[in-house]
Amino acid sequence: MNLTVVVWATTGTLFFFGLAIVVLRRQLLAMLLGLELMLAAVNVSLVHHAGLFNDAEALAVVALVIAVAAAEAVVGLSLILRVRRSGRGADSAVLTELQG
Amino acid sequence: MIVWAALVAGIVSVFFAAVMLMHRSLYVSAVSLLVVLLQTAVLFLLCGSSLLGLLQLMIYAGAVMVLVVVTIMAAGSEGERFSDFSFPRPLACLGLIAAVAETAFILAHGTAPAAVAVDPALQSQLGAVLFKPYALATEAVTLLMFLAALAIVPEKAAA
Repeated sequence: MNLTVVVWATTGTLFFFGLAIVVLRRQLLAMLLGLELMLAAVNVSLVHHAGLFNDAEALAVVALVIAVAAAEAVVGLSLILRVRRSGRGADSAVLTELQG
Repeated sequence: MIVWAALVAGIVSVFFAAVMLMHRSLYVSAVSLLVVLLQTAVLFLLCGSSLLGLLQLMIYAGAVMVLVVVTIMAAGSEGERFSDFSFPRPLACLGLIAAVAETAFILAHGTAPAAVAVDPALQSQLGAVLFKPYALATEAVTLLMFLAALAIVPEKAAA
């Protein structure tokens, strides 16, 4: 067993679980957590790639993905809180219309 | 030995990801995601990227997860999914044991252990890459974070 096998198995399984959470769970907050899980899984594989091939660009992409994920979490959480406080619940099924 | 440490981190992270999928409580899901992010930070360290492991700890496991837990608490008390703040004790023990064992392993190695032979200059090249060929992307992400901070200002405060 080597590190590549361990990392790829972990990455694939984590990404699968994240995708399953986004698809199967109906709460908006749980879906956001699933998205974060998928991003973390992708970051692990990128860091492993950077270590294997001494690729600094992969590390740069991971740093950018972490920053984008933080911004996405801030906006997503504030939207979820706003939807919940407007009395429409926190399930994705109730959000069927956009309003400007 | 390092591969076995990576295997332990991978198994624990996959287990808590399964808990995220199966458990009804959003609080348990959020804390499970926190454990997964801690384990991925350990994997970063074992893959030879201690700087990004630290960033993962500070930004993801620190700031973002605190924000998620506070949001769950502020989202209101009606509904079982939002009001259940109990965390199963066996899961907490498992996460704690994994964290203690991995910390002891890292401390026993003295410096950051890496399973692959990473070029020592790799992490110092990260800054050069971010601000030379990826300068436009870095600026775009910075602007995005600024806009995200503006977007959450309440309408009354913005007016």
